[in-house]
Amino acid sequence: METKLATENLQVIRTLMERAAVYRRALAPIMLLTGTLGLLAAVAGLLFQVERPRGFAGLWLGTAAAAVAGAFLLARRQAIKDQEAYWSPPARRVAQALLPPLLCGLFIGVVLIVPDVNWVVDFTLALVWMLFYGCALNAAGFFMTRGIKWFGWIFILSAMGLVILTLLTNSSLRPGSGNLVMGFFFGALHLAYGAYLYLTEKRKTTA
Amino acid sequence: MNPEPFLQLDRLIHEKGRLGIMSMLGATPELTFTELRDALSMTDGNLTTHIRALQQEGYVSVAKSYQNNRPLTTCSLTAAGRKAFAEYINLLEQIVRQNKPK
Repeated sequence: METKLATENLQVIRTLMERAAVYRRALAPIMLLTGTLGLLAAVAGLLFQVERPRGFAGLWLGTAAAAVAGAFLLARRQAIKDQEAYWSPPARRVAQALLPPLLCGLFIGVVLIVPDVNWVVDFTLALVWMLFYGCALNAAGFFMTRGIKWFGWIFILSAMGLVILTLLTNSSLRPGSGNLVMGFFFGALHLAYGAYLYLTEKRKTTA
Repeated sequence: MNPEPFLQLDRLIHEKGRLGIMSMLGATPELTFTELRDALSMTDGNLTTHIRALQQEGYVSVAKSYQNNRPLTTCSLTAAGRKAFAEYINLLEQIVRQNKPK
């Protein structure tokens, strides 16, 4: 009797924990849709010789938009069919985790097709590192507390802001500006965040 | 058979409704009151009672804030709650293990 009860309770716990933590929409239809769209876009690109940067970016960003919209509709249909909330806590976390890297990809794709900008390697590399680092911090933030996700977003949005500023003013494209950017964001900003954490962290009262 | 593990089970967590709350919160950093209520198909009053009991024991912390000018209640497990829940699961597994036919 006790064993039966214990087994049942463990099963209940497992089910509820999965429901709270795991994104359970079937991924097969989404993958099939994305794959089909990708192949169709590739065939169209080859057939119509879409090779110039703008056309290439337009074709593939358009395909990505169609895939994201299709995935959204498929997942929503599944949720309705299963009588579950579409915007569930796991769905929200998946969306939060996917958003920064996808946004960065979109941003880089759009920026690289803007003509007549001579990107200096050290500066460009610093911005790309900031974007990736921001994505990494945001992903790690799902397992950490204390604002790591927001710290990641600061890197991502700052890198995007610097790119836009560069495009508008053409002023940051001097060799050596990469070190300034790296020093400020990877140096000063970390020190500031560390100091903030040090000053606001609750002291442990027990060893 | 050793009856000890069953007697050691935390009675507060052992109740069905509270077990559901602990399980959901155990798998995620935090959940809103509405998310818990919908996922566990509980009434507002029922959920409030269970959360209060868990809060009094120090297992659950409740934070109140505002989102889009509407009050938002968020629940999460405390360190003590996480520990108690882990111990509860360990005891259940122990019961299952010790009665497993060899």
